[in-house]
Amino acid sequence: MAFNSINRTDVPMIEICDLEKRFGHLQVLNKINLKVNPKEVLVIIGPSGSGKSTLLRCINHLEEPTGGKIFFEGTLINDSKKNHKAFERHINQIRCRLGMVFQQFNLFPHMTVLENVMEAPVHVLKQNKSEVRDRAIALLDKVGLMDKTGAYPGMLSGGQQQRVAIARALAMEPKAMLFDEVTSALDPELVGDVLRVMEDLARDGMTMLVVTHEMGFAEKVGDRVIFMADGVVVEDAPPHEIFASPKEKRTKLFLAEVLK
Amino acid sequence: MLDWNIMVHYFPFLLKATILTLEISLLSLVLGLIFGLSAALCKLARNPFLRMPATFYIWLIRSTPLLVQLFIIYFGFPQLGIDLGPFMSGVLGLALNVGAYNAETIRGGIISVPRGQTEAARSLGMTINLSMRRIILPQALRIILPPLGNNFIILIKDTSLVSTITLVELTLTAQRLIGSTYKPFEIYLMAAALYAVLTTSASLVLSYLERRTRKEAR
Repeated sequence: MAFNSINRTDVPMIEICDLEKRFGHLQVLNKINLKVNPKEVLVIIGPSGSGKSTLLRCINHLEEPTGGKIFFEGTLINDSKKNHKAFERHINQIRCRLGMVFQQFNLFPHMTVLENVMEAPVHVLKQNKSEVRDRAIALLDKVGLMDKTGAYPGMLSGGQQQRVAIARALAMEPKAMLFDEVTSALDPELVGDVLRVMEDLARDGMTMLVVTHEMGFAEKVGDRVIFMADGVVVEDAPPHEIFASPKEKRTKLFLAEVLK
Repeated sequence: MLDWNIMVHYFPFLLKATILTLEISLLSLVLGLIFGLSAALCKLARNPFLRMPATFYIWLIRSTPLLVQLFIIYFGFPQLGIDLGPFMSGVLGLALNVGAYNAETIRGGIISVPRGQTEAARSLGMTINLSMRRIILPQALRIILPPLGNNFIILIKDTSLVSTITLVELTLTAQRLIGSTYKPFEIYLMAAALYAVLTTSASLVLSYLERRTRKEAR
């Protein structure tokens, strides 16, 4: 939310320096520099293939950057000096504090909704099962799925599945959340419920990086919007500026196309 | 046409030999699962020191006949000072054999679980091992179970080959009884029926397991 950006603290939640990602000859990300402050909601927009998702996936190391540095709460994420085992431990600790929600939900189909939400806190953080259960039920209540705790993901609509996925990530009590086109696979009438959950989350002060095509959400909930194209950040501005008076030609063209 | 007296008289001998066949089958089944799962995971590993031996093992077993493999273990290994005896040789040969086929079955099942499942598990801070155990293998199991069951049914029938390395299981017992009775039709018919009982029971257990994993899924 806009007013949060006033409360800046010294250490950014996420800091990205000269980030590069290459797949063979294809340069997907080219010298990305970015800072995300605590409680800030950063919305990333841009045409497909611009590197938005790759950027998000580099932050929790689902993709391995080919250059540059990423810091999470001041800790270097892609620390190449560590050996394989030490790096595994290091990245898993970071992932515990950095939630992610995917376009395709990726719920575990062999577990009930409640088991999905409880899985990681119980088996990764080794937290007490009954405490986790209480928290999981509270989270499912928050995303409006109290009555679905015993259901399997296959029995739910896409929008319901995505809200479970958000609850599953929140059950780890993360410091920041990554949303990778979380409404793109949904039927239009199901998008609203998911966006409302994300809006509530932003209002509660969650640091969020949101890759989306929902311009209304970007304008309403984002503290800052960045426009990416061809692996670079073309424009970085508060939502009212970027939507009302974009400076770059490419931003104008893109917005003219999507807001048509 | 059939000599019923012979059949009634010799049936208990065959039944007793069936117990040995069952023991060999169950032991090779368990070992074959361990070999298969290990080889599948190794073949999927990035580390070439895990991948290459697993690939070699699967290739070696699948490109040679089981009978020759059994002969090498039972007749050949003693030359190297490894004398396992007929029972251990038989079980080891069968387990190594079914293990190689299991490995390919299990590997296929693991690969068929969508990549997003691993990514979701990893994004929640799970280690590779934990995500394999809690997320990937349970889902792969549903896909793996029917072809794995097929491998086990073949295994039960293949135990008849260990009769060639002096293990007195169902087939060799039948042969010996025929040596003294000269009633091959009756005796082999009974042996076949007993194999059919074993394989049919295995099928029933498997379809029960398949039903159970499917029910858990949704």
